[in-house]
Amino acid sequence: MESLIIKKTKQTPEINFNAQSGVLEIKGRSIPENSFEFYTPVLSWIDQYIKKPNENTIIKVYLEYFNTSSSKFILEIFKKLQKIQNIDNKNILIEWYYDKNDEEMMETGKDYKDVTELPFEIIINE
Amino acid sequence: MLHAYDQFCKMKNKNIILSFKGEITSEIISMVLDVAENKLDAANEKGIIKKKIFNILVECLQNLYHHTEKGLIKNENTKSSLILIWYENEYYNILTGNYIRNKNIPPIQKRLETINSLSKDELRDWYRKILNNSEISAKGGANLGMIDVARKSGEKIEYNFKKINSSVSFYEFKIKVKK
Repeated sequence: MESLIIKKTKQTPEINFNAQSGVLEIKGRSIPENSFEFYTPVLSWIDQYIKKPNENTIIKVYLEYFNTSSSKFILEIFKKLQKIQNIDNKNILIEWYYDKNDEEMMETGKDYKDVTELPFEIIINE
Repeated sequence: MLHAYDQFCKMKNKNIILSFKGEITSEIISMVLDVAENKLDAANEKGIIKKKIFNILVECLQNLYHHTEKGLIKNENTKSSLILIWYENEYYNILTGNYIRNKNIPPIQKRLETINSLSKDELRDWYRKILNNSEISAKGGANLGMIDVARKSGEKIEYNFKKINSSVSFYEFKIKVKK
């Protein structure tokens, strides 16, 4: 399966989803007016990936800012990945990174940790 | 009509960081965010305060972008809105104004009243509940914007609906961030 690579813009994050390694990274800002447009291909890729996931999948989220319109889509990514947990011998982990001093992003990580049923680590990005 | 200095002093004395009236387009949003970011950088504002203001601005601007309507008042571009940011008594203030149909006021007013009545923890729980349960709309909005603004600010929202005529009002919305 092809990896999904999308370059960052001023309004949308960098996406680096590597199907071979199982490492899925989201980095930067996600503040588009139209989140639907940006996240639709991202969610489609996830739909394909979960059919034949890597043994270990890690999704690494390094978000600086995101708007509430993106927040639902970020959760949707996690929810789709949840299906991996039900497959034998397949593991999934979410790593939520926040900059030191950015308590808000840590709190937001807690919001997501609370509403997803996946192993979820909140990590300081030193 | 050369009142540049008067106008300059007025803005300086009122600590106006940014003032814009017009239609909020995607380009304008980027521009306003850039200007706000640059000015807060230039003022050496703390990262966490900058982030709060930036986040709140994004939500406010995108609300205006998605919800202002044209044709509400004859011969006037009712998509035109106001955004004003200024600093006063240890607080950054963000004020927005836009036309709204009177019939659309009650649900907004109810939501704002509820937000203002909730504690920090209650707002967090409500946010999580909506995040987890609501459907994604084509606009992407999940009714989370105002709750998020209130959570980030930590202050009560001030608002008013100024009646223009029997079908239209001007919706005034103000949120503060403590320095």
